[in-house]
Amino acid sequence: MLLCAISVANAQKTGSLSIRFDHFLGNEPLILNDKKYKNATGDEFNVSLFQYFVSNIKLIRKDGSTYDIPQDKSYFLIRESNKDSKTITLTDIPKGKFTGTSFLIGIDSTRSTSEIGYRKGCLDVGGDAKDMYWAWNSGYIFVKMEGTSPQSTAKNNMFMYHIGLFGGIGNKKTLNNIRYATIDFGKETLRIKDSKNIPQITIKADASKILNGETNIEIAKNPTVMGGPFSAKIAENYKTMFSFVGLGTLVANADKDKNALGMNQEQK
Amino acid sequence: MSVKIKLLILVLAVAFLSFKSISEPELFSVPANFPKPSYHFESNPLSTAGVELGKTLFYDAILSADNTVSCGSCHQQSASFTQHGHVLSHGVNDKLTKRNSMPLFNLAWSSSFGWDGGVHDLDFFAVSPITNPAEMDESLANVLDKLRNSPQYPALFKNAFGSEEINTERFLKALSQFMLTMVSANSKYDRYMRKEGVKLTETESEGLALFQQKCASCHSGTLFTDFSFRNNGLFPNADDKGKFEITHDEADQFKFKVPSLRNLTYTAPYMHDGRFSSLAEVLEHYASKIEKTPSLDALLMKDGKPGISLNADEQQKIIAFLQTLDDEDFVKNTLFSESTLINEIPRKNIDAELKSFRITDETIKTLFNQSIDAYFKIKTAIEAKNSLLAAEAARSLIKTLNRIRITETEQKKFFDSYQQKLFLDAKQMIEGENFYAHQLDYFDELSAHLYILVASFKANTKVLYFNECLKSEFKWLSDAPDDISLSTDCNDKKTKTLN
Ligand code: HEC
Ligand code: HEC
Repeated sequence: MLLCAISVANAQKTGSLSIRFDHFLGNEPLILNDKKYKNATGDEFNVSLFQYFVSNIKLIRKDGSTYDIPQDKSYFLIRESNKDSKTITLTDIPKGKFTGTSFLIGIDSTRSTSEIGYRKGCLDVGGDAKDMYWAWNSGYIFVKMEGTSPQSTAKNNMFMYHIGLFGGIGNKKTLNNIRYATIDFGKETLRIKDSKNIPQITIKADASKILNGETNIEIAKNPTVMGGPFSAKIAENYKTMFSFVGLGTLVANADKDKNALGMNQEQK
Repeated sequence: MSVKIKLLILVLAVAFLSFKSISEPELFSVPANFPKPSYHFESNPLSTAGVELGKTLFYDAILSADNTVSCGSCHQQSASFTQHGHVLSHGVNDKLTKRNSMPLFNLAWSSSFGWDGGVHDLDFFAVSPITNPAEMDESLANVLDKLRNSPQYPALFKNAFGSEEINTERFLKALSQFMLTMVSANSKYDRYMRKEGVKLTETESEGLALFQQKCASCHSGTLFTDFSFRNNGLFPNADDKGKFEITHDEADQFKFKVPSLRNLTYTAPYMHDGRFSSLAEVLEHYASKIEKTPSLDALLMKDGKPGISLNADEQQKIIAFLQTLDDEDFVKNTLFSESTLINEIPRKNIDAELKSFRITDETIKTLFNQSIDAYFKIKTAIEAKNSLLAAEAARSLIKTLNRIRITETEQKKFFDSYQQKLFLDAKQMIEGENFYAHQLDYFDELSAHLYILVASFKANTKVLYFNECLKSEFKWLSDAPDDISLSTDCNDKKTKTLN
């Protein structure tokens, strides 16, 4: 079984789909380290790291019914620092028309508590997921953003937002910061067919939503947010982070396979 | 084929299979007086090679950032796999852990791990010490790389899992396999319960009855824990709120895992922060020192007052009973000990650290030799099991080393780094002021560091000998070549001469 990876397309009744995540901060493309931004409370900052898990992807039909990408092929770790990871490819999708998509931001509770044998590829705690896993309070970090701000009161003016927590297990309940994103294609329709041209959904991921929203985060007051109750406010903010940009096609070229697999393939 | 022949084959096959299962060593079995284990053996079946690999990993310091700390450093068999006499544990660079190391046994029956229960599956536990800056300060990905590049591990992984591939799953499963074999079920109490012809004394029986009345509501069953998390009335320390750190639920403040009470004689000190050094103190706590806080367990309140009513006599009886839970076979079982590893863990070559400096300044030379004298005082005291004297000599070692002034940059840098290490080693001698075993634990480090320093500066005026037992890793300096005083079971000694 391969997680976070792609199998060869079944040529007959199915097709493939590519999803591209474009990272922004507000209306400007996100540029790591070198660019200064401002949040809603007026704090100035730069971003040195931005990454998140996307999982449990569904495609939605006009009548509301869905096609659920099989679990084992539905976990992706998207990193700003790795271009290949920002385009994912889904295969073996039954031919059909779809009007939207939805996915989970993070990792569901079942997989968060599953045995080590089910944690391959981007879920490998000693591999790809090594910086997205809490060892002492076992679970994945769903969304992680770090950077510096003159307003930060933490060491080296750093700020760190590591948001996780899947609800806990047994009698050890924790916060549940699992959130879902739903993307509507508006007037456009996604057609999955068996053709050489793979359709591509482009989604904007706006990192400013981590800081601005229902709760505007003041970096001076909350330079580090991890396992505490405040993390729920940030999760509420970032659930609106994803929005629809457009439909297109992934140009079939030599780079295609590399793109499709990206960091989501098991690392050697 | 005739029915008869078929039958014969069947009989032979059954005979062969049952013979095979007899000859296969039993890696894990459920003791007759134990409940069903909760570990998922079906997805990690134990094998001889898997357990052996896990054991090798457990004792190999390659798992830590600077290759100095192994799981076995904080989980020592003679202390029922906790750390001898330590309140908190020392990890890489001698940083202290937040909590007292936990004993490791009967892990197959646990379903949450750590004092706060933050890990729900034994397989995942090892990631926590490996990545904790106060423990091994290493990344698991890096450990796997080190293993892949080691001369011995690819073959060991092949033996255990069928191919040389080294990955997270195999690594963690192997460690679990070894830890799962650590079953402690042969205490006097167990043999009494299994009716193996063992009787409890009158005091022990009375202690058992009192225990069942006063303690077993939490320390229940054969495993002596109900696996819950509770506040047993310790004076709270705001730096560690136990289960609350995981759940952030106010009701969970200062709740910690109800620990098993087996092997207590070997696991002192007690509680999550090692605050009590004796069982008498523990009993006194339950009888009269329970702190009333909002999350105090209701079982520890009686008629509106905190505490369990226990007079001095009853306390003594309970202690007598608790001692029947000591399993000497477990702490001595060589199956679990490093000495029975099939694959020797490659040792760090100490001589690779040596430099070639020379000291000409007579004052410095004298101070070096005074340091060597202080070392020998420590050694003599340890030989005589006089911990107080050893601690005193360690203080004078620190003082003397502190007076050495080296000016040349490269030499100074080298000296400073070993001076630091020796300070830490000497501090262990001082910390073990009342604890001989603790001093002995750190004596070989002290010896090795002093050897490297003295040999690098060629500072000794008298001839010295550096002795090393290869298997037990015990090391010491002596002024005679055939000195074996501190190592009783060393038949593979190597000696180097320092002129
Ligand atoms: C620096 C000392 C140190 C090292 C090294 C260390 N441990 Fe521990 N171990 C501890 C402490 C302290 C605890 C209690 C942790 C807590 O509750 O936060 C513990 C707890 C445990 C537990 C939980 C036991 C239970 O009953 O809940 C297991 C299992 C364990 N360690 C295994 C290991 C393994 C495997 C390694 C090597 C990979 C290792 N330890 C390395 C100090 C250490
Ligand atoms: C209300 C539940 C409860 C009761 C009743 C209780 N204990 Fe405990 N016990 C605990 C908890 C919880 C801990 C761990 C506390 C900590 O470390 O913070 C503990 C720890 C201990 C320890 C330390 C073990 C170690 O490995 O560090 C000993 C010994 C002990 N208890 C003995 C007893 C005895 C004897 C009694 C009866 C007189 C008793 N307990 C009654 C809950 C209980």
